[in-house]
Amino acid sequence: MSDTAESPTETQKEETQPPSDDSTTNDEKKKKKLMSKHTKTRIDVLLKAVGDTPIMKTKKWAVDRGRTVQSLSQFISRFLKLDANEQLFIYVNQSFAPSPDQEVGVLFDCFGSDGKLVLHYCKSQAWG
Amino acid sequence: MTESGRNCRKTDVGVLYRTLRGVLCLMSGCALNEKEFFSCCQLLLQQSEHLRDGWSWEAVQGSEEGYLRKTVLRSVLADCYDAQKQTETASDSVSPVSAHPIQELQQQERTQPVVATCFHSDGIIGDDGDEDDAVCVLSEGSSHVLQYEYHILYSCSYSAPVLYFRAFTLEGRSLTLEDVWSSVHPNFRHCLQNSPLTAITQQEHPLLGQPFFMLHPCRTEEFMRPVLQEAQEQPRPVNYVLLWLSVVGPVVGLDVPLKYCTQLHLSSLQRSTSDLMSSTVETGVRRFARKTCK
Repeated sequence: MSDTAESPTETQKEETQPPSDDSTTNDEKKKKKLMSKHTKTRIDVLLKAVGDTPIMKTKKWAVDRGRTVQSLSQFISRFLKLDANEQLFIYVNQSFAPSPDQEVGVLFDCFGSDGKLVLHYCKSQAWG
Repeated sequence: MTESGRNCRKTDVGVLYRTLRGVLCLMSGCALNEKEFFSCCQLLLQQSEHLRDGWSWEAVQGSEEGYLRKTVLRSVLADCYDAQKQTETASDSVSPVSAHPIQELQQQERTQPVVATCFHSDGIIGDDGDEDDAVCVLSEGSSHVLQYEYHILYSCSYSAPVLYFRAFTLEGRSLTLEDVWSSVHPNFRHCLQNSPLTAITQQEHPLLGQPFFMLHPCRTEEFMRPVLQEAQEQPRPVNYVLLWLSVVGPVVGLDVPLKYCTQLHLSSLQRSTSDLMSSTVETGVRRFARKTCK
C-alpha cells in the first residue's frame, strides 16, 4: 500500500523508509495523496496482534484520520503477506469489529486514550 | 430529552454493563450455548431499542427459543459500471435514517458500492409504476429499492449464532444468489470468492421453513476464539452475538452502528469511575473507623 498516508512514528534502525508496496496502482496512489492533502490531521494507531496472527515489526503508525478500516486492513494484510483466502479482521475495544467504511479518525475520537487508538487485528480463514 | 429521560438512559446503560459482566462469566470457552445466546440477544435488543436500530425478537411457541430479526430497505443503483456516479448519486439519493425500522434506509456513504449487477432500470417499480408509493426518497431513474430481511438464529450443531437473510424487490420478487453477491462488501468479496466451500448458501430457514440465504457458521468459532480468549483473560465483558454480528454483518450488507460499541464503552468508563469512587469512599470509611476505634 502506498505509504504516503502512513508513516511509522517509532524510529527503527532497520526501517528508515516506510515499506513500499508494488501492487498499489497509480490510481490508488493518487487517491491516497489526495486524501493525505485534505485530511492532514493524523492520529496515532497502535496495532496489536491477536491469536496466531503474526506481530508487525512496526506497531505504531501515524494514520490519516480519513483512512478507512478497510484501507488499514488491506495495508496490514499486505504487510503480513497474507494468503488470498485469509481474511483480516480489525477490532476496537477488543469487543467490536468496526465497519470497513468506518474512518479511523472517528474511532480515535470514541476509543482513543493516551493520545492513541489501540486496534487489535486477527487473521482467520473465516469463510467456507 | 428531559432530565429524567437522561437519567433513565444512564441507568439503563449501567444495568446493561452489569448484566453483560454476568453473561461473560457464564460463558465457558468460546462456544456459545443457547442460554447465553438468548441473554446476548436480549442485551443486543436493549441496545437496539435505545439506538432505534430496528431489531426485534421473534419468539417461538412462547418459549425462550427464538431469533432476532431486522428488516432494512436499501436503495441500490442500477448502473454498476460507473462507480464514480454511484458514489455521488448514493449520497444524494438516500434520506437520513428515520425512527421507524421499516423505513430506515441504509446510508451508503463514500465507497460502499452496493451495486445491482442483475437489475435493469425499467419495470422495477411495480405494475402501477407509481413512484409516489415508494417509501423512500430516491433520486430519479437510477435507483431501485430492495427489502432485506436479516435473522439471527442459534445453531446447536455449531454452538454459534447464524445469520440468515433474504431480499426482495418491492413487488415481491426475491433476489437470487447472484444478485445478493452485489451486497457483499468489497473488503470481503475477494476472500469469500476464494473460499473452497461456498460461504453464502441457500438454506431452508429452520423455524420458518422458507428459503433464505445463510452465511455458513462452520468457521465462526475459529474467528471468534482469539478475540474472546483475550477478552476473557482481562477480563473484559463481550457480547458474543454483538461481536459476531459486527464481523459478519458488513459481509452481507448489514450495517452495525459503531454506537453499539461506544454505548458500552461509555458505560464501562462510568462503571470504572464509580468503582473507583466507591472504593475510595470505602477506604476512607475504614480509615475513619480505625481512628475512632482507637
